[in-house]
Amino acid sequence: MRISQYFAEAFAVLAANRIRTILTALGLIIGVTAVISIQVLGAGMAGAVSGILGAASDRTFVVLPNQQQADFTRAAIRLSDLQRAKDEIPNVIDAMPAGGQNLQAAYGHSHRRLTLGAGADERFATATPLRYGRKLSADDIVAGRHVCVLSDRAYTKLAISGDPTGGSLRVGDRRFTIIGVLGVDQTGILPISFNQDVTIPYTTYEREFARGRAILFARFLLQDPSRVEQTEADTLAWLKHIKGARVEYQTFDRKTFTKAVDGIFAGITLIVALIGAVSLLVAGIGILNIMLVSVAERTREIGLRKAIGATRFQILLQFFIEALSLSAFGCIVGMLFGILIGALVNDLAIVKLSGVVAPIPWLRSILIATGFATVVTLVFGTYPAWRAATLDPIEALRYE
Amino acid sequence: MNDSRQAIELWNVTKTYELGEVKVEALRGVSFTIRSGEYVAIMGPSGSGKSTLMNLLGCLDRPTSGQYFLDGTDVSTLGDDQLAAIRLKKLGFVFQGFNLLARTSAMKNVALPLFYAGLSGKARNAAASDRLREVGLGDRMDHKPSELSGGQQQRVAIARALVNDPAVVLADEPTGNLDSQTSEEIMGLFHHLNQGGRTIIMVTHDEDVASHAKRIVRVRDGRIVDDQPTAQG
Repeated sequence: MRISQYFAEAFAVLAANRIRTILTALGLIIGVTAVISIQVLGAGMAGAVSGILGAASDRTFVVLPNQQQADFTRAAIRLSDLQRAKDEIPNVIDAMPAGGQNLQAAYGHSHRRLTLGAGADERFATATPLRYGRKLSADDIVAGRHVCVLSDRAYTKLAISGDPTGGSLRVGDRRFTIIGVLGVDQTGILPISFNQDVTIPYTTYEREFARGRAILFARFLLQDPSRVEQTEADTLAWLKHIKGARVEYQTFDRKTFTKAVDGIFAGITLIVALIGAVSLLVAGIGILNIMLVSVAERTREIGLRKAIGATRFQILLQFFIEALSLSAFGCIVGMLFGILIGALVNDLAIVKLSGVVAPIPWLRSILIATGFATVVTLVFGTYPAWRAATLDPIEALRYE
Repeated sequence: MNDSRQAIELWNVTKTYELGEVKVEALRGVSFTIRSGEYVAIMGPSGSGKSTLMNLLGCLDRPTSGQYFLDGTDVSTLGDDQLAAIRLKKLGFVFQGFNLLARTSAMKNVALPLFYAGLSGKARNAAASDRLREVGLGDRMDHKPSELSGGQQQRVAIARALVNDPAVVLADEPTGNLDSQTSEEIMGLFHHLNQGGRTIIMVTHDEDVASHAKRIVRVRDGRIVDDQPTAQG
């Protein structure tokens, strides 16, 4: 009465009915493949997104006035506000105008319209790697130097070849010394770049480009990144204090993006779970059906087994293990296909776009496959096995 | 084994089926004794209750009243699983239709009862090959039922009935599906087994077949109407 003998018997029966076994398992294979490949892809996407978001600095947040409000002019942020902010809001080291202006820029003989924006020193910059030179330094900011860092896009648009650092970029009638060029932005599947084409020290930007204009939105630089939320609340309270209670602002930080992305993935997960539940039901009914057929076909055999001394429990176990073997087969094959397809699509699409390689969620895949097999067997394998076990041996032996 | 111990004792056994409102009295008080080593044929026309009697003797069913001792154990009040254990240890069945598992070798078929007895694969195969040799199929162990003649299939079934060394072998029309020459061979095998001390009970409606037994019990309308030794006995 060893359990391995029951498995051997079950495999023999399933192998003898090869076509039927494969067709029945196909439902489970497809269901599990779909669920697991989406899981693998999801893990790849989540990894890619968090990898990309990781490139954005978590030491800054952005504040902008709501477009729809009673007194937009009153809510507009001015340069003088930003100068006060760093002294009056706890944890704020500095504040700068964010966003860029589209301006005509020239390098040598090539002219292009590029976005020009304010930037702070390296602590607050994106994690985008450098191709040439260096990023803005604290000295550049303090001194308000006429220096700039080009993005990969600007480098390409201006048709620069080789290392341009030390060269000069003309913007309008002003000249900026190129101190660095950024590498390729790893935006991956999100069409968001955290870099403008030309970044100059925000002190320089304020002096040369922002004076006298309302600021579209402002970037606040933090001392302690772990207190982003508190500082955002403080900032909003401070803005209401200086501009009146009716003004409305929104804040954005890395967490806001992460939350949005997490929301999308939670939605995908829910849909996948629903697909999983439906495929589980369909595959389970297939197994229920085939097991009932199997019991009916083997009525005489069951009668014989009972006559020669098999107990009800032994018969129950035999058919239960047959259902278990069938669903385990389907789920294991489905799991392997799922991982294979998921990893393949992940490699071909997501990794290529984002450069982020997420590990395959083996444990989760195995848990899903085992869970499927267990639920299908318990829900749909028990009834046929019980039918077999409770057959009357006399009737069963007489069955034609 | 050829002693005078009682293999089977039936005391005033009745069996009543309730088919809705109608009560069918299949057995109306049957008493008889079969000693260890006997070879008994049970005969009777259809509807006489001989199938019911066979099912009771085979512990596939329980009597409505009365007592049934099999090899010294009162089995008339046992539960389903206890009856299964009795069938496993004390009874061997031979059916008219052989009832072998298709796609399964002769050896595996013979070894099947030992699977439920919990023996290891090795022990099962050893016992099964001994029995197959005993019924003259030592060279057919790996053949599947479809590769064997009817007579050979019934020999496999007989080997299966013997593999657990039962107190009683019950044969239900064992030659019903066989031609007369093969029937003779099978009857010869039963004779041989009985010579070796096996207790055999055979249900048949064929007088020729029954004449091989040493005693014939005749059943009619749920009662025993005749119980005589044959020329063999």
